[in-house]
Amino acid sequence: MEQFLEQLPIVIQALNVGFLQTLKLFFVTLIGAIPLGLVIAFGSMSRFKPLSSVVKIIVWIVRGTPLMIQLLIIYYFPGLVLGNPIWGGGETGRFLAASVSFILNYACYFSEIYRGGIQGVPVGQEEAGLVLGMTKRQIFFKVTLLQMIKRIVPPMSNEIITLVKDTSLARIIALQEIIWAGQAFMKGSQGISGAIWPLFFTAVYYLICNGILTVLFGRLEKKLSYFK
Amino acid sequence: MKKLLAIMMTLTLTLSLAACGNSDVDSTDAEANAETDSLLQDALANASTETGADSDLAYVTDKGTLVVGITDFEPMDYKDENGEWIGFDADMARAFAESLGVEVEFVEIDWDNKILELDSKSIDCVWNGMTLTDEVTSAMECSNAYCNNAQIVIVPADTADQYQDVESLSDLSFAVEAGSAGEEEVSALGLNYTPVKAQSDALMEVAAGTSDAAVIDSLMAAAMVGEGTSYENLTYTVGLNSEEYGVGFRKGSDLAYALNNFFSDSYANGTMMECAEKYGVQAAIIEQ
Repeated sequence: MEQFLEQLPIVIQALNVGFLQTLKLFFVTLIGAIPLGLVIAFGSMSRFKPLSSVVKIIVWIVRGTPLMIQLLIIYYFPGLVLGNPIWGGGETGRFLAASVSFILNYACYFSEIYRGGIQGVPVGQEEAGLVLGMTKRQIFFKVTLLQMIKRIVPPMSNEIITLVKDTSLARIIALQEIIWAGQAFMKGSQGISGAIWPLFFTAVYYLICNGILTVLFGRLEKKLSYFK
Repeated sequence: MKKLLAIMMTLTLTLSLAACGNSDVDSTDAEANAETDSLLQDALANASTETGADSDLAYVTDKGTLVVGITDFEPMDYKDENGEWIGFDADMARAFAESLGVEVEFVEIDWDNKILELDSKSIDCVWNGMTLTDEVTSAMECSNAYCNNAQIVIVPADTADQYQDVESLSDLSFAVEAGSAGEEEVSALGLNYTPVKAQSDALMEVAAGTSDAAVIDSLMAAAMVGEGTSYENLTYTVGLNSEEYGVGFRKGSDLAYALNNFFSDSYANGTMMECAEKYGVQAAIIEQ
C-alpha cells in the first residue's frame, strides 16, 4: 500500500502526459475530419460520374482496411518505397502521420453519416425551395443543413466516442499516447518496473472522457429537438 | 455550382497525385547530394567497403543527426529525473555520435517494428540491448557483440524448487515474447509455448496463471522480478543459452564498420568500461 502511494503520483503524471497526446490526436482528427467528411460526402453524391466513382472507391478502400494497417502504410511507406522519410523519426513526425491517417479514416466514416443525413431530408423540401425561386446553395444552407445536423447527432456521437478509444491504435507507430504510457511501467520506467495496474488504470481516463462527451451530445440533441 | 465543385475536387485529386510525384524528385536530389558528400565522408571514415551514393555514414553526417531507436530498458536505455535518456547504451550512443560530429536523437520505437523503422529511415540504428539472433543478423548490418546476456526461466516462487534444470521444464506451458531470443530457445528445446507481445506481457501471463513459466533476458529479470515489483511472487531458475548484444544498422550500412572502430578505440582507452561500471554491467562487457 505504501509502495502504491509512492508510485501513484509518478504514474498519474506519466499517464497525464500520455492522455494529453491522446486528446491532441482526438481534437486534431475532429477538426480535420468533420469538414473533410462533408467534402467527401458531396463528392460521392456528385452527378459527375467519374468523380463520384473515384470518391466511392477511396471510401471503400479506407473503410475496408484496418486503421492499424493504414497507420503503418502512411508512416513507413514514404521511407520504405520512395526512399524519402517525409515524416522523420521524431515525435512530431509520428504525430503528423497519425493525424493524417485518422483524419482520412474518420472523414470517410463521417461522409457516409452526412450522406445519410442529407438524403434523409424529404425531397419535397428541395422542390418547394426551387418553386420559391431559391438557388441550390440557398436550399442547402438555409433548409437542409440544420435538419441534417439534427439527424446526424446520434450516429456522430457514436463515431466520436469510438474515436477516443481508437487513438490507442497509434501506438503501433510508437506514438506515445496513454496506453503506451501505462505499458511503460510494466517493463520499467522512472524507477517503477513490473507494475501492472497503470495499464488498467488508463481505462479510467477513457471512461471520464467519454462520460463528458456523452453528456455534451445529450445536451446538443435536446437543443436540436425542435425539428420534428 | 455542382460542376464547379466537381472540377475543384478533380483538381484536388490531381494535385495530391502530383505531390506524390514530387517526393520522387526530392529523393533523387537527396541521392545526388549524398553522392557529392561521399567524397568527404571517405576521408572522414577512413575508408570502408561501401562507397558512393549508398553510403549510410554520408547520409547521417549530411543530415547532422544520428537517430537512435530505443525502448525504455533499464540499465541500457532509460530516462533520468530530468527526462534525459541515460544508460549504458544511451551514453555510448551519445559518445559515438560525438565522434562522428553529429547530434544524437533518441526515439522510442515499437520493438516489433525495429526493422521497418530502420528500412524506412525513421531511425538510423537500433541500440537497445539487442540480442544478435538470426532474425536480426539477416535483416540488419550488425556491429560486433559488446555485451553478454542470458535467457532465463521465470516461475512462481512457490513451485521454483521443482524446476531447477532444463529436463524438468518439459511439462510447463511457457509465455515468451514473439520474435525474441527466448522464443528461439524454447522452440529449440521443443517446449510448449505461447508467443506474446512483450517480455513484460510474458511476466503478466505467469503472474495471472495463464502460463506456467516465462523466458526473458537476465538483465531485465534482475530489474523486474522479486521484491518491490508487482511480481514479488515470481522468481528465476534455469538459465538457458547465453547470448550477445549488438547494435543494428540498415543492411549494407558502413556505419557498422565505423562503430566497430569506435568500440575498439573506446575499449582500448578504458572509456567503455568506465561507462559500464556506472551502470553496473561491467561483468557482461565483451572485449573489443
